[in-house]
Amino acid sequence: MNITEDMVKEIILEVLKEIQGDEKTAARPAGSATQLQFQELGTAKVGTNRNEVVIGVPPAFGVAMTQTIIDIPHKEVLKEIMAGIEEEGLKSRLVRVNKTADVGFIAHEAAKLSGSGIGIGTISRGTTVIHQRDLAPLQNLELFSQSPLVEKETFRAIGRNAAKYAKGEHPNPVPVRNDPMARPKYQGLAALLHNKEVLYVRPDVTSTELTVQL
Amino acid sequence: MAQSKEINISPDLIAEAVKRAMATLGKSPGQETLTGSPSGKLEAEKDYPLGTKRPDLVKSASGLALEDITLDKVVSGQIGFDDVKIRPETLEYQAQIAENIGRPNLAANLRRAAEMTNIPDDRVLEIYNSLRPYRCTKPELLDIANELETKYNAKICAALVREAADVYEKRGRLKQ
Amino acid sequence: MGKRQKRFEVLAERAVNQDGFIKEWIDVGLVAMDSPNDPTPSIKIENGTVLEMDGKRREEFDMIDTWIADHCIETDVAEEAMAIDSLQIARMLVDISVPRTEIVRLSVGMTPAKYVDVLKHMNVVELMMAMQKLRPRRTPSNQAHVTNLKDTPALLAADAAEAGYRGFSEIETTVGVGRYAPMNALSLLVGGQTGRPGLLAQCAVEEALELTMGMRGLTHYAETVSVYGTEQVFVDGDDTPWSKAFLASAYASRGLKMRFTSGTGSEVQMGYAEGKSMLYLEIRCVMITKGAGVQGLQNGSISVIGVPGAVPSGIRAVLAENVATVLNDLEVASGNDQTFTHSPIRNTARMLMQFLPGTDFIFSGYSSVPNYDNMFAGSTHDCDDYDDMLVLQRDLQIDMSLLPVKEEDVIAIRNKGARALQAVFNELGLPLITDEEVEAATYAHGSKDMPDRNVPEDLRAIDELMKRGTTGVDVVRALAKRGFNDVAQSVLNMLKGKVTGDYLHTSAIFDENFNVVAAVNDLNDYNGPGTGYRLEGERWELLKNIPAAISPEDI
Repeated sequence: MNITEDMVKEIILEVLKEIQGDEKTAARPAGSATQLQFQELGTAKVGTNRNEVVIGVPPAFGVAMTQTIIDIPHKEVLKEIMAGIEEEGLKSRLVRVNKTADVGFIAHEAAKLSGSGIGIGTISRGTTVIHQRDLAPLQNLELFSQSPLVEKETFRAIGRNAAKYAKGEHPNPVPVRNDPMARPKYQGLAALLHNKEVLYVRPDVTSTELTVQL
Repeated sequence: MAQSKEINISPDLIAEAVKRAMATLGKSPGQETLTGSPSGKLEAEKDYPLGTKRPDLVKSASGLALEDITLDKVVSGQIGFDDVKIRPETLEYQAQIAENIGRPNLAANLRRAAEMTNIPDDRVLEIYNSLRPYRCTKPELLDIANELETKYNAKICAALVREAADVYEKRGRLKQ
Repeated sequence: MGKRQKRFEVLAERAVNQDGFIKEWIDVGLVAMDSPNDPTPSIKIENGTVLEMDGKRREEFDMIDTWIADHCIETDVAEEAMAIDSLQIARMLVDISVPRTEIVRLSVGMTPAKYVDVLKHMNVVELMMAMQKLRPRRTPSNQAHVTNLKDTPALLAADAAEAGYRGFSEIETTVGVGRYAPMNALSLLVGGQTGRPGLLAQCAVEEALELTMGMRGLTHYAETVSVYGTEQVFVDGDDTPWSKAFLASAYASRGLKMRFTSGTGSEVQMGYAEGKSMLYLEIRCVMITKGAGVQGLQNGSISVIGVPGAVPSGIRAVLAENVATVLNDLEVASGNDQTFTHSPIRNTARMLMQFLPGTDFIFSGYSSVPNYDNMFAGSTHDCDDYDDMLVLQRDLQIDMSLLPVKEEDVIAIRNKGARALQAVFNELGLPLITDEEVEAATYAHGSKDMPDRNVPEDLRAIDELMKRGTTGVDVVRALAKRGFNDVAQSVLNMLKGKVTGDYLHTSAIFDENFNVVAAVNDLNDYNGPGTGYRLEGERWELLKNIPAAISPEDI
């Protein structure tokens, strides 16, 4: 993706509008992917099913923002992760973590809610973590920190590996990718996107259970 | 460390053990007499680095002098990990040197460190984690401060934890 | 647009046009060093307590204000320092007749906003002049990154050995897969002492794990102890100034050197910059560090360099934050450690800001591996740029701490590093390093030249290693038992370094004879021409003799 000045302008303008409290535009997602149809089912509870992996997403995910930094629609993101988990014969459960937009904390919250103790956190631009309940919040089982390098196949592999950890296996970690040139190209944009993401954070609201139509 | 415990007792070893015990007996930080300094404190220009200029002052946590820490002794198992740890007196000396060249903040850090040498690794890690945001209630933090003071004689560290408890309370960063 | 102008077509293809640039967005703090939201400098002190700082009353202080007011600002000199005109202080920073000691005496009385007010007056040449005069250690030095995409240990050891041999004083690793950390640390420990006795090694991972490895004697120092300039971001980083200060002392209590890490842009990157300029927030980080009594700081935007790099005057702000660090009498490991541009021209220009004046660690670090293997997501310069750097040293007669080397010597040292680690793996019961791996690591350009390892088996063995409580002493024993006595002695000497605590001081490094060189016994004495560190004498003879130079006798 080339970051054009127009794109940056569009994002800036949009966020500025939202800061000014223009409610009509606040709900309009950036980018072209469609919004996801979520149903909120109340406060998320700690699961008892040892065969589940919990996926945590921040408030803007799929609603105010609908695609990753490399334009993968959030719908596809969830589809792939869930498919990966199912391939391993496990169930996925979706929660919205309202109090933070930090991927590590979201993943850790998901892991703490998960019956298997394994959770996945993914934020709007695509940065993702596989986490385990008894690790420190900023530790991880696997971390995919460079959002421009997290592709569709990566999400499926993440789902698969999370399920394997949940089954007590020791999977080969999803191959780590590295592109030294991702930073010069994307970091400014990533900062813009993250500032947008945090506008939707609600520090005092507990995590909620979600279902989604994919 | 496990390996160092499985060795056979030899006369050398006993002599070593006695030497260590003697070295640590009845000493507390800063108690050694310092010669040649009018203030009784170390000076950067004269005493630093301690390893070469004042080896007489440097001993490991178990009381070994630097020259006693040799490769042969490590290989034969006479020296374990505890024999290559820093001791509080040394940190106090380094704090004096830091102060002498105008770095009081560094000196304060080294004095907190001197207190912490008494605290086991695991407990240090636990206390660090307890000081992270949202981990503890105020009474829990104050209990840690008391433990630092009474169990480990770590008064400066205890003050730091108490200060944290007050600030966390004011800023809403305690366990909810 | 209709018909394209041909020169513009060429320009559009240039590397620099692949970089992302953004316009300032002041409301969220996407601004380098001059935001209208930055506070105006002020201070009010009563009975040694700061009652007001930068226009905020004590009751309104957040955590960071409180920490700075109570632990950093020297109330005895604050009123004096704050009363001096900022432009006057800026001039003192470049004035060779004002000694470093006088500036440092005043700097501890300045508030964060005052620092910004001073630095705003300075252009990059003046900032470089200030760096040359104010950096704590007289002798400049350098750090290298040693990582690879596969976390393959033989290659890490060979690369660590080469990095030491080429003249770096510190090496830093991190991981592709988090749980590899202890094995990577071990690989650097052994490879590093093989390449150059006295080389300091660290493994940058999550705080608690990093401390654990240090306590075990598997690393010599720590650096990835991050601090941030707003309370929200600090808390999102899962720490507070109090927890970080406690952590700092924990390191010292085990005889381990450490520095904090911060950088312009991290707050806005994490979404909570409160509309303040990147430099203002970074100066708060510098002062948090000073207040914690930590000897030094790695800054210069670091992993966020794409953010200041994308806004106007951003690279100037990055140099300004380095200067703010040394102005606080702290060791500076000055960045140049992350790719921030596609353009080789921009890349070099950015690096000259620290290379020309010299800093405690010009790069923190330089990629001693090809950038595709750099798990810090790439550095500004990598192993393929070594010869360019050697020529730059020679052209400008400035020391980047890089030694000219012969190919056969590098092959030998890489091989020895890999073999020493192979021996340690054998003794400690870790999954074997094969002779094939040693051979590949010796001659490798990067991990693409290495065979794959059985990753799950490695990870299981690492878990067991940590559970067993393996320490640096076990490594010494393993090396000696397998005949690597010189390396064993060096690893042991580094452990003895922890017993003396000499390298806990500001800007401390070891030379190859284990003499500590710090801003105590090697304090910067720059005072204009003819003073301070100069690349001359034997050292200059060594550095100017690059293998490519033709000597008159050969013709």
